[in-house]
Amino acid sequence: MKPSVKDRIKRQKLKIVISSAAALLLVLAALAAPLLVPNDPYRTGSDLIRKAPGGAFPFGTDNLGRCVFSRVLVGARTTIGVTFLLVALSFLIGTAAGMLCGYYGSVLDELLMRIADIMLAFPQMVVAIAVAGILGGGIAGAMAALGITMWTGFARLARSHTKSIKALPYVQAAVLGGKSGAYILAHHILPNILAPMVTYALTQIGTTMIGISGLSFLGLGVVPPQAEWGSMISEQRAYIQIAPWAVLFPALAAVLTILVFNYLGDAVMDYRALSKNR
Amino acid sequence: MKGELLKIEHLTASYGEEPVLKDILLGIGEGESVFLVGESGSGKSSLLRAVLGMENLTVVSGRVLYDGKDITAAGGKQRRELLGREIGFVPQNPAGSFNPLRRYEAQIRDIMGSHGLTWDPEEVTEILEKLDLKEGKKLLRMRPYEMSGGMNQRMAIASAMLLKPRILLCDEVTSALDTTTAARVVKELGMLCTQRKTALLMATHHLGIAARLADRIGIIKDGRMTELGDTDRILTAPREVYTKQLLMDVPRLGRGR
Amino acid sequence: MQEGMQENCVLRGENIYKTYDRDSSITEALKNVSFYLQKGEILGIAGESGSGKSTLLRTVCGLEKADTGKIFAGGEELPAGDARYAGRYMQMIFQDAYASFDPGRTMRKSLTEFMAPEKSSPGGGSNERILSLLYETGLTADLLDRHPAALSGGQCQRMSIARALLTGADILLCDEITSALDVSTQARVAELLLRLKRQKGISILLVSHDLALISQLCDRVMIMKDGAVLEEGNTREVLERPRSQYTNELLAAARELELPEVK
Repeated sequence: MKPSVKDRIKRQKLKIVISSAAALLLVLAALAAPLLVPNDPYRTGSDLIRKAPGGAFPFGTDNLGRCVFSRVLVGARTTIGVTFLLVALSFLIGTAAGMLCGYYGSVLDELLMRIADIMLAFPQMVVAIAVAGILGGGIAGAMAALGITMWTGFARLARSHTKSIKALPYVQAAVLGGKSGAYILAHHILPNILAPMVTYALTQIGTTMIGISGLSFLGLGVVPPQAEWGSMISEQRAYIQIAPWAVLFPALAAVLTILVFNYLGDAVMDYRALSKNR
Repeated sequence: MKGELLKIEHLTASYGEEPVLKDILLGIGEGESVFLVGESGSGKSSLLRAVLGMENLTVVSGRVLYDGKDITAAGGKQRRELLGREIGFVPQNPAGSFNPLRRYEAQIRDIMGSHGLTWDPEEVTEILEKLDLKEGKKLLRMRPYEMSGGMNQRMAIASAMLLKPRILLCDEVTSALDTTTAARVVKELGMLCTQRKTALLMATHHLGIAARLADRIGIIKDGRMTELGDTDRILTAPREVYTKQLLMDVPRLGRGR
Repeated sequence: MQEGMQENCVLRGENIYKTYDRDSSITEALKNVSFYLQKGEILGIAGESGSGKSTLLRTVCGLEKADTGKIFAGGEELPAGDARYAGRYMQMIFQDAYASFDPGRTMRKSLTEFMAPEKSSPGGGSNERILSLLYETGLTADLLDRHPAALSGGQCQRMSIARALLTGADILLCDEITSALDVSTQARVAELLLRLKRQKGISILLVSHDLALISQLCDRVMIMKDGAVLEEGNTREVLERPRSQYTNELLAAARELELPEVK
């Protein structure tokens, strides 16, 4: 027999609990990285070059003799921190723009949505590489490069939800009740679109991480020696045959983190879909 | 009394823990039309669902007999053979039973094909015409999402009738129709059923429609059949207080303020 | 229009035109519609779906903007398409009562929001005003802590009437407000409208496709078809001696579904 909706919802809840616990653990580890590192992630040493994992260096050392474990931990801080900041900024800008377009429509709507269309006409990474190239790298450059396309996703979603809520009688009743557009956006529309927006934000975390690490890998993001998973992989890949651990561990960390956040996003999305259809 | 086509014997059923039907007793003869009238949540739709054997409804006690055979727990193949050809069903929300993006012609062709019937465009347009859907050929080329709720409701009635069932179950099929269209559809559906000797079991909260079409009316309240009788008797000489109240609450033309 | 009517007239529409431009074809939703509504009167607007009766209501209260035409209320001409402004005089009651309330809010919150501060009675606080309106609309105070989904259809529709009255408006625009309700609930809501009219002098524009309901509630009736007014007049006169063929057809359909008298 097919599992009942109730059981499926229960299962989704469990998935959410597990994946959010894992995500929380990762975030905490990233935040507490300076306290957890066994070695200085930036100290080089000619006698410590490319040591295999073990002893004082659980993940070994890289080609400059830096502790890979410590660098992976500190790198988490950079990758996760930059990702969260970028997703949050895109969320704010995109949601605000989408709500304004969806509610007021007219010229502003046309203009912003056409810009969004143009952004979506190219693959995100291509735009990002081009923009980061022009801006000349650096964390801020990489964030701008990814953010320039990312807000459009939030804007589109917020716009369509706003449009459909605006057509509902309760919003029209509020207009007749003398409420201003700003009041209605803040009190009636925002609270009711928040859940889908946050869900969408969760699903964007993994993609953004790939973007940040990808740009860093290409040398368009974080500038060495600052620890970041993508740039670590890029720096060490020449020695992959002699010291595979220096590439393997940051790569594993990236894959694991992206998986955890994608899983969390999917679980929340499925849960919402299930409970809506109940 | 004609032979009983469908017989519901002391049926008690529930959704999970919640009882929705309590000791329902009802027999429907060949070609007879019985209307179940009650408020939303009274259990009239659940009674239809019990006859159809919908999964989430649990029969606690009692039986449903079709043509003398116990079909209360009929499953799989037996159920599939019954539904459509023997027992037709028009749901309240027809959107759920059609693919919104496929042309009606293809969908109705499929349904008829799977019941071993041949597609006859003349017959189809004739039925559509009767249900006040003119230009049937054009409508058949349309997709459900392109039509209004009322049109979809009538398409659903048409496709159920095309299978020539011996009994047709309808759940609030006129809720999306204007009074004018509802009156017309109901009249034509009645004539169609009489012509083909199709029995009709319809759940509605619209007493006017029941007045027009029903041989007998069953009043349902809180899962119980509180009163059952010939249409005329129920409408003009109700016995139960609840039935009287219901009749009083129906607005009537010209009985002004 | 006669002079005597003008004095009592609370709402008036003059030569309203409204077209929709959809898929490059133009639909005329309202063709030169004029009407007036007197104080404490219920004016029925009858017609089938697509007749423009709902569009008329939405245009009158500014939720839609008329192409041309004027709407007057409270002795002034209302700015076209400005529902915020029109809301001072009139409130709309929607067919879907549940969707008329923010799903995430309790009734208390939804109702308080609609309080017109300048119109709250001098002695009583806001809470007393809400409670007295709940009483008048046949509701109880314990419902205030519920969300819309936890109310019955009838309760929810009463709440939206209570909310409309809270703003201090004394004109209600009702759009098929009973068609989603059960027969008995519908009758109780209809009684409520009559009581509001008689006791509080509320004026109502009532859109419905149900001629029987209109004959029960309305002082005057306006028959609409394809965006135009076919005839208008005293309800009894129109329903007993209809001038247009179309009204006759509507009446025939309604009679078709008429119940016999209970003996």
